[in-house]
Amino acid sequence: MSLSNDAPRFRAGVILALFVMVAAPALLVIYQSVLDAPFFDDNVRFSLEAFRFVLTDPEFYRAFWTTTLYAFGMVLVAVPLGGILAFLITRTDLKGRKWLEPIVLVPMFLSSIVLAFGYTVSVGPSGFVTIAFKSIFGSAPWSIYTLPGIILIGGLSHVPTVYLYVASAMRRLPSDLEEAARTAGAGIWRVSLDVTLPMVLPALVFSAALNLLLGFETFGIPLVLGDPNGILVLTTYIYKVNTIFGAPTYQVMAAVTVFLILITLPLVFIQRRLLRHARRFAAVGGKGARTNLLKLGTTGQAIALSLIGLWLLVSVFFPVGGIVLRAFVETWGEGIKLTEQLTLANFRAVFEIPSLSRGILNTILLAGFGGAIAVAFYLLVGLAGHRNRGMSGTLLDYSVLLPRALPGLIVGLTFFWLFLFVPFLIPLRTTLISLLIAYIIVGLSYGLRIIQSTLLQVAPELEESARITGANVYRSWRDVVIPLVKPGLAGAWAMIMIVFLREYATGVYLMSSGTEVIGSLMVSLLTSGAMDQIAALSFISIALTAVGLTLALRLGAKIHD
Amino acid sequence: MTELVVENVEKWLGGLKILSGASFKAHKGRIVALLGASGSGKTTLLRCIAGLEQPEIGKIVIGGKTALDDKAGVALAPEEREIGLVFQSYALWPHRTVFENVAYGLKLRKRPTEEIKTRVEAILDKLGLAHLAARYPDQLSGGQQQRVAICRALVYEPKVLLLDEPLSNLDAKLREEARFWIRKLILELGICAIMVTHDQGEALAIADHVLLLKGGSIVQDGTPMQIYGRPNSFYAADFMGTNNVLAGAYEPQPDGTGIIRCDGWSLPGVWQDAEPPRDPSDIRAVVRVETVTVTPEPTETSQPLDVEGCIYLGDKWEYRLKRGSVRLRAQGTAALPADVAHCTVQPASTWLFNP
Repeated sequence: MSLSNDAPRFRAGVILALFVMVAAPALLVIYQSVLDAPFFDDNVRFSLEAFRFVLTDPEFYRAFWTTTLYAFGMVLVAVPLGGILAFLITRTDLKGRKWLEPIVLVPMFLSSIVLAFGYTVSVGPSGFVTIAFKSIFGSAPWSIYTLPGIILIGGLSHVPTVYLYVASAMRRLPSDLEEAARTAGAGIWRVSLDVTLPMVLPALVFSAALNLLLGFETFGIPLVLGDPNGILVLTTYIYKVNTIFGAPTYQVMAAVTVFLILITLPLVFIQRRLLRHARRFAAVGGKGARTNLLKLGTTGQAIALSLIGLWLLVSVFFPVGGIVLRAFVETWGEGIKLTEQLTLANFRAVFEIPSLSRGILNTILLAGFGGAIAVAFYLLVGLAGHRNRGMSGTLLDYSVLLPRALPGLIVGLTFFWLFLFVPFLIPLRTTLISLLIAYIIVGLSYGLRIIQSTLLQVAPELEESARITGANVYRSWRDVVIPLVKPGLAGAWAMIMIVFLREYATGVYLMSSGTEVIGSLMVSLLTSGAMDQIAALSFISIALTAVGLTLALRLGAKIHD
Repeated sequence: MTELVVENVEKWLGGLKILSGASFKAHKGRIVALLGASGSGKTTLLRCIAGLEQPEIGKIVIGGKTALDDKAGVALAPEEREIGLVFQSYALWPHRTVFENVAYGLKLRKRPTEEIKTRVEAILDKLGLAHLAARYPDQLSGGQQQRVAICRALVYEPKVLLLDEPLSNLDAKLREEARFWIRKLILELGICAIMVTHDQGEALAIADHVLLLKGGSIVQDGTPMQIYGRPNSFYAADFMGTNNVLAGAYEPQPDGTGIIRCDGWSLPGVWQDAEPPRDPSDIRAVVRVETVTVTPEPTETSQPLDVEGCIYLGDKWEYRLKRGSVRLRAQGTAALPADVAHCTVQPASTWLFNP
C-alpha cells in the first residue's frame, strides 16, 4: 500500500458524495416497496401489500417470463452474429472492412426507441418495406409485433456491443500464438478454431453476460413493438402499472423494481468477475500488426459480404431509412407514389409545438453542456479513484456497479421522487439540473470507464517524478495528469454527448414542462400516437447523433475499449 | 558529511517481506550503488528512500531531516524530502519542453523567473544540452533524454540524488561513456548519490561504495575492490564476475589453507566465507575465469584437462575444459592445439565457501 494516504480527504469526500448519489435511488426504491402508499403520504405504513399484489398478478408472471425469454433470445441472436462479424472484419481479408466497421456500429449509437420506431415504419404492418413487399408478392410473411419479432430486433440492435468486445479481444490477440500453431502444422481454419476461439472466449462470455443484463433492463424496443399486442416486459410492466390502476402506484412500481434488481445485481457482479478474467487473458499482451489475414477466396468473399449486407440491410438500412423517409411524408400506402408526397410539414409541426422545439434545444443543451459537466464530474471521481489503494477505492468500485443494476427508467423515477421531496432539491426539479444529475448517474459506469482508462495511460513515473521534484499530489494532477489526458477528455466528452443524446428512459418521469428531452418526448407521444411528430423527432435525433459522432471521431474518441 | 541514513527498513507486501532490515549510510560527494539481481529489493529500497513506497518499519534521515520513522509516526511525502530521482524510463513530461521539464522543480520552489532561467540554462549548458532547450522530449535521443532527466533531478540542488538503473536504456557504447561522465559530474558537484543497478560493471565503475542485496537484505558492502576481490559469501562471489563453480568436500590443511576435493580432481584454496564450514562434505569453490591459466604444455603446478571446445570472442578465446565431473572455463589468446590442455589455478584465487 504505497502512498495510500495521498489526498485522503479529497478522495473520501468525492467518493462518499458519489456513493450517496447512487445509493439514494436504490434505497428509496427498497423503502418505497415496503410501504402501502407513496412514501411522502401522511398516513403511510409499512406493508408487504405491494409484493402480495405483484406476486398474485398473472400479468407480472407473464412479463417476467417474457423478459427472461427476451434476454436469453437476444443473447442467442447477438452473440453469434457479433462474433462472426468481429471475426470477418478483424481476421479475414474481407473487402471493404475498413469502412464497414463504423457502419456496423451504427445501431449502438441510436436510442432503442428510435430504432424500434424505425422498424415500425419500415417493416411494421403498414411499413414502407412491408407495403412494397406486399405489392410485389401479395403478402408479407412476417410480423414484428410478436415476441420472436421483438427478440430478433432486440438481438440485432445489440450485435455492435458484442462486436466491440470480441473485435478488440481479437485485435489484442498476439499473432505469434497463431503463428506458432501454424508452424506446428495447423491449417488456417484449424488455428481459428483451436487458438483464436478459445482465446476470445472470455470476451464472448463477457458480452453474453452484458447483453443478458441489457436484456433484463430493456425498455424502448418492447415498449414500441410489444405494446400493440399487449406484450409486456418487466420495465414496460412498471411503466404500465399506472395505467392499470389509473393512479400512481409507486409501491407496486418499487416492488417490481426490487424483483428486477434481484436479477440484475447478481448479473452485474458476474460481469465484473468475468471482466477481470477476460483482462487476465488479454494481459498476455503482444503487439505488432497482424500480417496474416485469413484468405476468404472469391466464394468466401461473396458469402461473407452478402451475410454482412443482409445484416446491414435489416439492422441499419431498414430502421434508419424508414425514419428518414417517414419524416418527410405524411401519407403513404399501396398505390401512393412517395415522391409526390415529400413534405416538411412534420418538421414544421415539431417546431410549432413549444414543448417539442424546447425538447430539441434541451437535448442539445444537456448533451453539449451537460456532457461537459458530466466529464468534469467523472474526472473528479476518476482522480479520486486514481491509484487509490485505500478503502475508499473499494467503495468507489461498488458505487459504480450499483446504477448498472437500475434501468434508466427507474433512476429517473427515483430522482423524480427525490427532487419532489428532498427540501433543498425541490427548486431544482423543474430545471435541467435534475435531469443532468440523473443522466450523470445513468452514464456513470460508461463515462468513468473511459476516464479511468485514459488516466491509466499516464505512466506512474510521470506522476512520481513530479512528486519527487516537489509537487504535492494536487499539483501533480494539475501539472502532469490533466494536461496529459486532455485529448482523451475531449474524446470522452463527445462519447458522453452521444450517450446523453440517445437517452430516453431517464427523462420519462423526471422531465417536466420546460425540461422536455427528445427521447422521453417520443415515449409520451407514443401514447397519443402522434407518429408524424415522432418521425420528425427521430430524424432530428439521428441527425444530432451523426453530428456527435463526427465530432467524436474528429476529437479522436476511442470507440474501442 | 552524512547525508542519508537508512536504518533497519522493513517493507512487506501482503505476507511477503520485500525488505528485511536494510541499513546503511551515505555521504556527501560519494556514490553508493545498490546492486542485486531482480527481486533483490534494490528498487524497492530506492523507492522507500524517495517516499514512493512506505516501509512498515524503519528510519530514514535525509540531510539531517527525518523523512521516515515508524516509531515517531513520521512519513514525509516525496515532495517534502528534498531529493532528486532519475527514473529508469527518465519519465520526462511529454507535454513540456526540455527547459520546462528542468525548470519545474524551481518553479515549485517559487524561485524568481530570472533565477530559474539562469540556473536552468547553466545546468543544461553543463551537460551539453543548451541547444535543445526548446525541444520536446520525443524529439531527443535516448542519451539526450537521460541527460535532461539528470538535469531535472539536479537543478534544485537536492540533498540526495537517486538514480534508478540510469544506464539500462542506453546502448552499449553510450553506456560506457555515461558511466564515466555521470561519476565525474557527481564528484564535481559533491552531492550524495544512490544508484540502483543490476549490472555489476556499472556498480564497480561508478560507485565508491557497493551494497550487494539479496532477498531484501544487504549481504555484503564495501568498496568496489572489496566486493569484487574479497567476497565473503558464495552468493557474493558467484554474483560478481564470470566464474567457475566447483562442488566438493573440504579438507583443511595445517597451514591454514584448505583443499577442495571434487570428483577426480582437487584444488588447494583459501576459505573466504565469513562463517566456518557448516558441512565439510559439501562446499563450493569459486574461481574467477580470468585467474585460470591454460597452457598447451604441462607446468609444475598444472593439471591436465580434456578440451571440449574453444570459442572465439574477438578480443580473446574462451576454453571449455572437462575432467570427470569438473567443468572449467578459462581464457587465452589463441586456440588450443590439442585435445588435452594443462591448467593452473592459483590457491589464492580458489575461494572456498559454504554453499
